[in-house]
Amino acid sequence: MSYISNLMHNRPAIKPGLWILIVLTAAVLLVIPPLSSLTTITLLSRIFILAIFGMSYDILRGYTGIINLGHALFFGGGTYLAGIMFSRMGPTLDVLLLAVAITLAFSAVIAYIMGQFAFRGTGFIGVIACAMITLAFGEIARHTAETLREYTQGADGLTFRVPVIFQDRVMMYYYAFLFMIIMTLILRRFVNSPTGRVMQAIRDNEQRAKFLGYDTKKYKLIALIVAGMASSLAGIMFALLTRFANTELLTVQNTLNALLYTIVGGTGTLYGAIIGTAFVQLAQNYLLELRGIHEIFSRWLLFFGAIYVLVVLYLPKGFVGAYLQFQAKRQSRKKPA
Amino acid sequence: MHIFIMLLINGLAEGALIFLMAAGLSIILGLLGVVNFTHGTLFIWGGYVSIWIFGLTGSFIIALVAAIVAGFAMGLIFERLFVRPVYGNVTAQILITLGLMIVFTDLVRLLWGPNPIPASRPEFMDGTWVIDSVIISQYRIFLIIVGILVAIAINYIVNKTRVGMVMRAGTQSPDMVQALGINIKVYFSGVFAGGAALAALGGALYVPLVGSVWSGMGINNQILAFIVVILGGMGSYYGSAVGSIIIGLTVAMVSWFYPPLTVYATVLLLLLVLTLRPQGLFGLAVRN
Repeated sequence: MSYISNLMHNRPAIKPGLWILIVLTAAVLLVIPPLSSLTTITLLSRIFILAIFGMSYDILRGYTGIINLGHALFFGGGTYLAGIMFSRMGPTLDVLLLAVAITLAFSAVIAYIMGQFAFRGTGFIGVIACAMITLAFGEIARHTAETLREYTQGADGLTFRVPVIFQDRVMMYYYAFLFMIIMTLILRRFVNSPTGRVMQAIRDNEQRAKFLGYDTKKYKLIALIVAGMASSLAGIMFALLTRFANTELLTVQNTLNALLYTIVGGTGTLYGAIIGTAFVQLAQNYLLELRGIHEIFSRWLLFFGAIYVLVVLYLPKGFVGAYLQFQAKRQSRKKPA
Repeated sequence: MHIFIMLLINGLAEGALIFLMAAGLSIILGLLGVVNFTHGTLFIWGGYVSIWIFGLTGSFIIALVAAIVAGFAMGLIFERLFVRPVYGNVTAQILITLGLMIVFTDLVRLLWGPNPIPASRPEFMDGTWVIDSVIISQYRIFLIIVGILVAIAINYIVNKTRVGMVMRAGTQSPDMVQALGINIKVYFSGVFAGGAALAALGGALYVPLVGSVWSGMGINNQILAFIVVILGGMGSYYGSAVGSIIIGLTVAMVSWFYPPLTVYATVLLLLLVLTLRPQGLFGLAVRN
């Protein structure tokens, strides 16, 4: 038991420096809208929403040690469900509420089914089988969206209208920011809960958690369901922002986007996803602007893959992880051993 | 009845192609403990390189050889530079091969453009035989023969040669093999590159079958190969052979009667097998 209780008592304390940073960022975010262009505001709104997508992946990869290659199906599923309901039933707030309810139920059920098959093995075989099986699930979702042309418009993508209060870009920016803050608090509460501690024990050593008497499959299922629901909510917000859904949202590439957000920022930190998303989105935007200089800069995926490989090889803990490590080193140097 | 003979041949040909990918994946998984997500990308590169060389030389055989050489070289580079630093860390291996998948799939689009390139079958295999009103495509028979030859070759190498002995021993206990004075890392590189070459050969053979090459064909076939690997039991190449035939026949049958269901049918088959036999048809031949 001591292993788990150790984990429970060593909560990662947030340094005062980080708090200042958080407050500063929040202030800047509230001052930005009146001072900047619509493009910037929309880009920031994107970052807020996608950060939650990344954070939901961090619950899997960073806190439970699961690689889910079909995670985009929750995000894309949320966008599609909201989009289809808006276009069929009209863009009203009631429909939005209904869409949220249906999407949450949908993602919980799908996550449950997916987990039943994906979490059969343990150890390294388990990780590999899980990656392959979730990949197959993700492809099924993409294939379904492509086939159900009547509802999804297939490869052309689905354009729809959203409730009036989400049509103003600046208001949408605030909603997105609020969404990010609320979801971050909820997810933070979740990963610091006793359940979250068991998840981390599974990540560190599944066999040991099992020997301690925990039903590890159950906890993995909980992690997947929570991550799936969070990600599908981000998907709905994305629908409200872009008013468009296409099958790109359901591809492996989109899953890898979420994965990149968390590994660039730092896995197992939750906040890392925000920094990672901002970094990746800003880098993508910046490179697209360089397109005029050389054609190569329009090949975002090349850079995406290169960043990906470099981060995995040389910065496995991401920016936040590297920063915390640097802090810890400085702390230990100050204190006489 | 005629339809079933035709579907049988289609299915076996499809199975032979999947086997080329799945066998490599499975052996790499067994010996190195690495799941290689670049396999689909190597498949695409095999397809594009063969088309390119076929255009230059006009020889199908040279094109196939070029694809194999390209696949082998890429496999060697991937293993040395990217996979080797993360041996033993499954998550990092999955992530890094996924990154390579993205980069090299996009490189294909950069080099050959985003649109599908049409490809024709070599003339000497383009024909069909009509036996008792059953139409048999010569190219599919050729694919089945290649599949059988590769299976026999793998079986011979693994079970009858010294290299195969080291591979089998390495699957059981790589440290012990190393301790006996055999440089297991050379075998790791060789097996990884060999599997890559098989995937590239698969791509080169797939292109004339479907008549064009495009950058999206990798992921579809990679997923089929993954399904086969899990279905057959990870690390068992017998399993991948049997799994390839099962999946090949399923794909051929379902896509004949109702094409949109093909993807669902293969995944459902996988889930069914996993429910009844969680370790796959031929068990776990992998160290745990």
